[in-house]
Amino acid sequence: MSIEVLKEPSVIEGKPTFVEIDEQISAPIDKLPNIKYLIALGITSTMLLIGIICIGATFFYGIGLWGNNNPVGWAFDIINFVFWVGIGHAGTLISAILFLFRQKWRTGIARFAEGMTIFAVMTAALFPLIHVGRPWLAGYLFPYPNQHHLWVNFTSPLLWDVFAVSTYFTVSFVFWYIGLIPDFATLRDRTKSTIKKIIYSILSLGWRFSNRHWHNYEMIYLILAGFATPLVLSVHTIVSFDFAVSIMPGWHTTIFPPYFVAGAVFSGFAMVQNVLIIIRKIFNFEHIITLDTLEKMNKIMLATGTMVGYAYGMEFFIAWYSGSQFESFVFINRAFGPYAWAYWIMVSCNVVFPQLFWFRKIRRNIPIMFVIAVLVNVGMWFERFVIIVTSLAHDFMPSSWAYYKPTLVDFGILVGSFGLFFTLLLLFIKAMPVISIAEVKAVLDGAQPHHTHNGGHNGK
Amino acid sequence: MKYFFNLFKNKSEFSRKSKAAPKFEKMSAESRRRFLALMGATTAITATACKDYRDKGEIISYNKKPQDVTYGKANYYASTYRDGSPILIKTREGRPIGIAGNDIHPISKGKVSIQAEASVLELYDPQRLKYPLKNSNKTEWKTVNKDIIQRFQDISSKGKEIAIITGKINSPTYAKLLEDFASNYPNIKIYPIELFSDRNRRLAWATCYESNEYPAIDWSQANIVVSLEADLYATDGVPYEQINELTKRRSGEKAENFNRIYAIEASMSLLGANADYHLRLHPTVYYPLLLAIYNDLVEKLAPFGHTTIGDFSLEKVIREHNLNQKHINLLVNDLLNNQGKSIIYVGDNLPVQLHIIANFINDILSAYELYDYNSSYVEFYKILEPAEIEELIIKMKQGKIGAAIFADINPAYLLPPDFDLQGALKNVDFKISLTEKANETSKLCDYVLPINHPFECWGDYQARKNIINLQQPVIEPIFDTRQKEAILLSWINGKNEEYSFDLYHKYLKNRYIEISKQFNTLDFESFWYSALHDGFIQLKSNEKSTKKLNLIILRQTKKPIEDSGISIVLKKSPLIGDGRYASNGWLQEIPHPVSKIVWDNYAAISPITAKRYGLDYKDFKSSMIKISIGSKQITMPILLQPGVAEDTLVIEVGYGRKDAGTIGTGIGFDAIPLMDKTLSVILSGARIEKTGKKYKLFATQEFHKLEDKYLKDLHRKRQLIQDGTVAMYLSNPDFIQEQRIMSEEEIEKHSVNPPHEYPEAKWAMAVDLSRCVGCSNCVAACNVENNIPIVGKEECGNGREMHWIRIDRYYSGTSEEPIVSYLPVMCQHCDMAPCENVCPVVATTHSTDGLNQMTYNRCVGTRYCANNCPYKVRRFNFYDFRHRFADGYYEQDSLELLHNPEVTVRSRGVMEKCTFCVQRIAEARQDAKSKGKNFTGAEVRTACQEACPASAIVFGNINDPNSEISQLMKSKLGYKLIEILGIKPNVTYLAKLRNTNSEDLT
Repeated sequence: MSIEVLKEPSVIEGKPTFVEIDEQISAPIDKLPNIKYLIALGITSTMLLIGIICIGATFFYGIGLWGNNNPVGWAFDIINFVFWVGIGHAGTLISAILFLFRQKWRTGIARFAEGMTIFAVMTAALFPLIHVGRPWLAGYLFPYPNQHHLWVNFTSPLLWDVFAVSTYFTVSFVFWYIGLIPDFATLRDRTKSTIKKIIYSILSLGWRFSNRHWHNYEMIYLILAGFATPLVLSVHTIVSFDFAVSIMPGWHTTIFPPYFVAGAVFSGFAMVQNVLIIIRKIFNFEHIITLDTLEKMNKIMLATGTMVGYAYGMEFFIAWYSGSQFESFVFINRAFGPYAWAYWIMVSCNVVFPQLFWFRKIRRNIPIMFVIAVLVNVGMWFERFVIIVTSLAHDFMPSSWAYYKPTLVDFGILVGSFGLFFTLLLLFIKAMPVISIAEVKAVLDGAQPHHTHNGGHNGK
Repeated sequence: MKYFFNLFKNKSEFSRKSKAAPKFEKMSAESRRRFLALMGATTAITATACKDYRDKGEIISYNKKPQDVTYGKANYYASTYRDGSPILIKTREGRPIGIAGNDIHPISKGKVSIQAEASVLELYDPQRLKYPLKNSNKTEWKTVNKDIIQRFQDISSKGKEIAIITGKINSPTYAKLLEDFASNYPNIKIYPIELFSDRNRRLAWATCYESNEYPAIDWSQANIVVSLEADLYATDGVPYEQINELTKRRSGEKAENFNRIYAIEASMSLLGANADYHLRLHPTVYYPLLLAIYNDLVEKLAPFGHTTIGDFSLEKVIREHNLNQKHINLLVNDLLNNQGKSIIYVGDNLPVQLHIIANFINDILSAYELYDYNSSYVEFYKILEPAEIEELIIKMKQGKIGAAIFADINPAYLLPPDFDLQGALKNVDFKISLTEKANETSKLCDYVLPINHPFECWGDYQARKNIINLQQPVIEPIFDTRQKEAILLSWINGKNEEYSFDLYHKYLKNRYIEISKQFNTLDFESFWYSALHDGFIQLKSNEKSTKKLNLIILRQTKKPIEDSGISIVLKKSPLIGDGRYASNGWLQEIPHPVSKIVWDNYAAISPITAKRYGLDYKDFKSSMIKISIGSKQITMPILLQPGVAEDTLVIEVGYGRKDAGTIGTGIGFDAIPLMDKTLSVILSGARIEKTGKKYKLFATQEFHKLEDKYLKDLHRKRQLIQDGTVAMYLSNPDFIQEQRIMSEEEIEKHSVNPPHEYPEAKWAMAVDLSRCVGCSNCVAACNVENNIPIVGKEECGNGREMHWIRIDRYYSGTSEEPIVSYLPVMCQHCDMAPCENVCPVVATTHSTDGLNQMTYNRCVGTRYCANNCPYKVRRFNFYDFRHRFADGYYEQDSLELLHNPEVTVRSRGVMEKCTFCVQRIAEARQDAKSKGKNFTGAEVRTACQEACPASAIVFGNINDPNSEISQLMKSKLGYKLIEILGIKPNVTYLAKLRNTNSEDLT
């Protein structure tokens, strides 16, 4: 009953055989790292080292090494936290929500995006722990039974964060690992090294590609996708509660949950797109991570970017409509006050430039889309800067206002967070298949000969 | 960048050695036992406080408990601070930890100066000299005394003079001691030198009334007070007394009694900031304006014997100098309509001529009705006139001075370089400095002898005719120091006598045996002990007669100030005085009451003049200017100060010390070099030049241009400051309540949380903004009570000052004529505190008596609470400031004794804030419990409340319907800060009333 015009174009270009797919995807793992890889790793681990030194110094001397001051209690620390949690949104969205929506184009990028999620959330989770004044007591943030009958405060959004982020991380991690099992088995079967074989054997949990395995795998994958989907929405909703639940003008806003989720997806896709453009070039995955796929991601960026732009506008409208002088002052101050530069960076990067994606040519032009996505990430970082710093720096009491200026240590930690993220990513590239071998095979042309509108999903 | 490099410079905070008991360089010769025995024998009151803690390495309980010491209970001893503030020294287990005002003192009425509030830091200051120095080397007192007596005899035999250079002498016994000293060495001369003093006032008074004892003024009786460049609230006269009396009549309770204050000045003084009318005036116009007022009053009142002088008339002065006619007419009418109740008061350091004219005006106005001759200001030694200082210097240069003794004075800093003291001292054979801390003068001296802090001294202090304050030691000298009187006493006979701590004590007592005879006391001992207990002796004085004005004098006055170029007004710093308190970090860190600048001075300039010279102050970066008068020049930063007269620079002196220890050295800029040999504080003919350099001048409040349309009057729009005129209040007492956006019921209705219950007490505070003058005594008192660390200039600039109470200053109006409002802000202890519900670890909680508590142990430092606090009163320990500040200044031995043991010393990474002095509440509750009484909280007073000279702060239990606070909570002037948030703060502010016309409000 298939109608040719309605048939989706193949998400994988060319018609590679299963073996070719195995070889191509495992190639980065099989080969020893080349000099380019080592240079890249050198750069990222240097960045990481800078971050470690800065964090170490902060542990040693105190938060005073940062630019934070008395009205501005949070700055780079929480900006980075929200930024990285946001980056971590694309992965689960691609792997879970797009999976449930049967978006086949996701297969090429899902694994990688999931990996980025894991690493981004790991990077993000670092910040709530290091931002506290006495990090050696950060354990107090977790509810653990103790003889002092000390308990945490369940009314605090920071505590909600602890649960939201740890849940999100756990579920994302399990989801990612489950997806990796068949690929580990493939790698196990391919490798000639004993050590690798042992490691992959353990990791693949005795996978034998049996029909029964596939059946269970599909079920659990589906369940986890269903489980992860609300988390994609909830984690940034709860992160936004850090602000929305407070009483600060500019924070105390009901629009924050959807606005934050949209922003997170926006920045997450931008980051995934950026990294994939490099990966597909270096590892010759152009036919697996196709231009079509990138174009689709750009469309999502266009959509979420517009949503974010709408939220910016709506914030201003509500600030005026609420009649609250504190609220309207904060927004006027954002756009025209001492932090106007940050505000206009944010608006131009997040709202103006992504609008170029309305043009098909730009959507399919790799250098331009790369630059736009970089700008989106810059813009999204500044969005958090604007929300956090401008609201705190100029709140209710004009006497307490103070201009926040970051220090070198602040930048060092920011650089370090990128170092951590990319170092983990580079290690991931060399240790695991960055594209799901099993899933790609399943979406090859002809892999699903019985695919109909009422048919099953994979290989039935 | 600086952080990055500082990282590696600082000592590790974890490498601190564990500390044993304090080890002082050299213990005094007195043993604890001997000292106790000695003291116990002489006085039961002081004995127990003076114990020696140095000989123990661990805390052990008393084998035999001294009678008056109870562990955990503070003892208070009446004494006097060096500036004459009558104080009660609070000691815990023999260790002074703070001061309180002496409530029964008839003049101070429990109020003290801001320097006295912060004085305990000086006591334990590790910058104090710890032993005598001979040519900068450590030596023994015995050798010192032997050498000095020998040298004195040599000098005397050569017929050279011994000059004792001292500050203003306020101690009658010290004055007598100097006389005795001079009678033993006939070649001794006494030279009292002060840069800022009442010398001109006294001279003018002597000229007009033939008496150098000028009367006290009963400020509380004055309806109209006109000050001419006199900062009655900060630097002139006795500020705490004047604040107390002037603000008594500035409260909504008695609005019909409101006084009206005019400040005519070139600067923006603290009085000016609080005045009902601030009339900006170039210093050269002081003279014509005062004479014009005089002439106008003479014409209107035709008083006997007065005639107009010259052709000065109000119209002319107003026209020529473009003054505010409406306000000046109002002023003159007010003076006329309040004869006997109005007074013109000229700043202490203004030229004598202006004082004389003011005396004449006051005579016409019958201001003598406000004079209190019983409490006249006495003088034991006349302060040197500039010409006399010059003579001294010449004598020094001629080699006629054999020895110079600098008794607790620092002329090398205070005297302008024109005098060339340094050069003159080269011709003085022998120089001795008696000082607590090394300073510019002690550096030039052969012998530097360390003297006691006032808390370690016996003494007396008399500024007024009818009262003598007594000073008693509450601790044995911490270092190997002696009090300056005792040092002089040990030289007095020319014999190197055995020194004992009791030396001056005996001398002092002997003198009071004479005085006691005029009292009907049974015996001297009981007289003496009761006087020590009270801290003062009230003398009988029955001087009632009003003195007659010498009417001829006025004709001979000449215009004192030339008018050319830029004028400069030099003032004493309200915080560090003439520089003598420069090494007290607490005082350096208290924001300047008007400008809110910390750790610096500046040339205050009007924004319009600044613009003309292309000068700017933005983002704490200030243009440096070169100021020159003739060949003299200095470089310093500017501050755009609204309210300063055009073409005028106002500079505070006391900064730019070259040798003031680790804390005070190099803080700010020294403006004394601009002065000439007349020591006039008003200089004219200055030129300013932009240097193009920038200097970081930090304030605790951002500087905004008053004309900025988004920021203008924001404090009023947000109802942070609610104000109105007295007339508005009298005609409609509800005018503040009518401005409320939400009623209490509405707020209650919007709350999602059930209200807390307060079964026992509920604490609240009220601050009367009509009374608060922003003097910042409360900040100093809070620092001492609550162990607030000093953070230093850089950290203040980073917005990390730690003060638990701050005084916000807001400007309305224009930058030429600003209307200033002060708002003291401490934790508001909200019922629905937004900080409480956001803390993830429950480190900040609500108590059953309405306090918002901080649990330091539990705090991990997320800073969420501070973010969510709309009043921004929470303070985060970004560092271990005790370690960080001035390379571990706090970690030196003696400063460990500074802290109030009832208040936790906070370390890095925790949040802190005002606790409503919870330790005092707890103590009062325990007391009530142990006595079996019902605890109402009526006796609890917070540190800020105690320190407030204006009595603007009231604290208490609102569950007690009889408490003062319960009454104030119902005041029609009451409002809460940002009430619409529904967080129900517990501090009520009483709206500020100004005694102006309503059109002058904006």
